[in-house]
Amino acid sequence: MTIIEQQTPAILPKESGLAIINSKAPFSSNHGKDALDVALIFGSFEQKVSLFFQGDGVYQLIANQDGRLVSIKDYLKTFSAFEFYDIEDIYACQQSLVNRQLNETFHINDVQVLTSIEFGKALNRHQHVLRF
Amino acid sequence: MSTLHLVRQSAFATNDFAQCLSVLDHQDSIVLMDDGCYNLKHSLMDSLLKRVDGTININVITTHAQARAIETIATINHIDMADVVELTFNHKKVITWQ
Repeated sequence: MTIIEQQTPAILPKESGLAIINSKAPFSSNHGKDALDVALIFGSFEQKVSLFFQGDGVYQLIANQDGRLVSIKDYLKTFSAFEFYDIEDIYACQQSLVNRQLNETFHINDVQVLTSIEFGKALNRHQHVLRF
Repeated sequence: MSTLHLVRQSAFATNDFAQCLSVLDHQDSIVLMDDGCYNLKHSLMDSLLKRVDGTININVITTHAQARAIETIATINHIDMADVVELTFNHKKVITWQ
């Protein structure tokens, strides 16, 4: 887990909230579950959280996955709770999807697919970044 | 002197699959398991299939691909864990790429 913090300049208070970058595939490590836990904790304390899916992290969003087949409790199903925690900004990197020959069929609604440039810009709008 | 290659990592995230292919020999077999299943959609797999043209035994563990919602391809074998055990006996050596 890498923590990147930025000081907000007093004149420009436009950077706000927490961005969580997901960069790992769902079933072979705990990173995805850890990121989910952090997102929900921040959400329950009414902190603004945005989720970014980049690289192999985009696999976490793909529909029709079933962790039970590999004896893993399927935390991906919990993604559908995001709206109850007011987590509304969910971004996927278009280039990562294209590279992996994935279409934009996700198991949650409201995923915004952004080009690399837009993805970077969206990330830079946040004051804090956690990467899993 | 055949070798069984167990590929467990995504080629989109690591270099393991490329390294595996660089040491691949004629009589070798490949098993895609865990995140290695993602390699079915990688360009390295396309070029491998073209290059070996059916001479190398390529396998994928069905449940591992299914769990990840990966469409598999008909030209490779679909196996389970019991088959992996059998493959380890039919090869001289095993290399796990992870």
